[in-house]
Amino acid sequence: MKEKDKRILKANFLDEITEKSREKISSCYQCYRCTNGCPMAESMDIYPHKIMRYILLGERKKVLCSGAIWACLMCNTCSIRCPNDIDVAHVFETLRRIAIKDGVAANDNLWEFERLFLESIKNYGRLYELATILHYKLEKKEFFKDTVMGIKMMLKARMGILPHSIKDKRHIKGVFEKIEKGRSEV
Amino acid sequence: MPVLSYYPGCSLKTSNRFYEKSIRDVSLFFDIELREINDWSCCGASSASAVDDLLAYALPARNLAIAETEGYHIICPCPACYQRLRVANEKIRVDKGLMDEVNDAIAPLSCYGSMEVKNIIELFTEYVGIERIAASINYDLSSIAVVPYYGCVLTRSWRIKPFDDTEDPVSMDNIISAAGASVISWQYKMECCGAGKTITDKDTTLRLSSRIMDMALKKGADAIVTPCPLCQLNLDLLPIMGRRHESIPVLFITEVIEMAIHGRIGGGRSHIVPVDGLLKKMKNA
Ligand code: SF4
Ligand code: SF4
Repeated sequence: MKEKDKRILKANFLDEITEKSREKISSCYQCYRCTNGCPMAESMDIYPHKIMRYILLGERKKVLCSGAIWACLMCNTCSIRCPNDIDVAHVFETLRRIAIKDGVAANDNLWEFERLFLESIKNYGRLYELATILHYKLEKKEFFKDTVMGIKMMLKARMGILPHSIKDKRHIKGVFEKIEKGRSEV
Repeated sequence: MPVLSYYPGCSLKTSNRFYEKSIRDVSLFFDIELREINDWSCCGASSASAVDDLLAYALPARNLAIAETEGYHIICPCPACYQRLRVANEKIRVDKGLMDEVNDAIAPLSCYGSMEVKNIIELFTEYVGIERIAASINYDLSSIAVVPYYGCVLTRSWRIKPFDDTEDPVSMDNIISAAGASVISWQYKMECCGAGKTITDKDTTLRLSSRIMDMALKKGADAIVTPCPLCQLNLDLLPIMGRRHESIPVLFITEVIEMAIHGRIGGGRSHIVPVDGLLKKMKNA
């Protein structure tokens, strides 16, 4: 690849993330504040400020395949502390969506769980905790891993057992379908 | 009698039913009527925004729209739901383009952001008042020392004005003091407990929540007090998740008030770390 083409490719990644997240990533001046306050930094293969740096450098693959974007807890500490008003957590969220779409996500457990969670809301209007967890465990074949915890919680009446449906289930399903349709049109 | 629209959120109807009972009990005591939003639905939690920005506004907006027709301000005890509802409410209010998109999705309902969304701490600071709490004490909690634990999201709503200081909130400290318990100051008011990873990555939750529990013990606290159902669940679950060291009880802020006014904790038996020791420390005022 020619030097010029490489440069274009790099700029494209920054533009892509800037456009999709609507965050001004180019204003990052590498102050480390996001990383300093991050409760997950020690378990990240790439620290948050480095993720920002790699976006600027156009390192598409490195960023999208990182485990870091999945380790994030969405606690917003980084976003609140960034002196340049970058919503770092939302950038991470944006990166996850692209990693999933491109099929390069390093860890899609969390995504699977979010998907099942949303499925529950779409069908019942509310979260059906136990069904969602059981589905997740079955799909991951982890059924027995946390069963002891589940039983103890149920005994203490801490786990929702009954499905909690809303009355107007058609409305909530309609909301999902309209948005899904809109998304597939863009 | 003040009336508020009440948005329970999924966790107060499932794993934290005793929190809802405690909220209702204390509200009734202070003559506040909570009217559950008719046919409310899930706010989308972190899942909606993981997938789609519009869905992350539309799901809370469905509830805001119903509340607008009922005409009362909204009280939302779960900080995660509070954040979703409040951000959606204030963005929709000022962004006409977003309002149209959202209202298209939730039609025939429509949301204009005309109500205010309040959290559980504001219920006490704005609708009850610190003085009234202090004047209502029937039991002496002065021998109980607690650490206030706000959890990570309550004041960290991105780009909207937080209801209290982002890094060092004090509003709940004041409520605890008014109820007569002593507040220990510490650095972990806003630390993350591991939030939604309890199911997908239990070890992370165990590590982060343990760190908070260890610090509370080191500070000499008898209990941790929180407004957040997720934090309460994660910290209270520690012994079941495999923590071997000692754990202290994790109370909801409303349970501290319950102790001060009634001398009991109605949902005491739903706690995994037993609260009996705490109750024994309490005296008649
Ligand atoms: S806190 Fe903001 S400016 Fe500082 S390194 Fe992180 S993203 Fe860049
Ligand atoms: S939101 Fe994610 S990246 Fe930011 S501080 Fe929290 S865990 Fe770290």
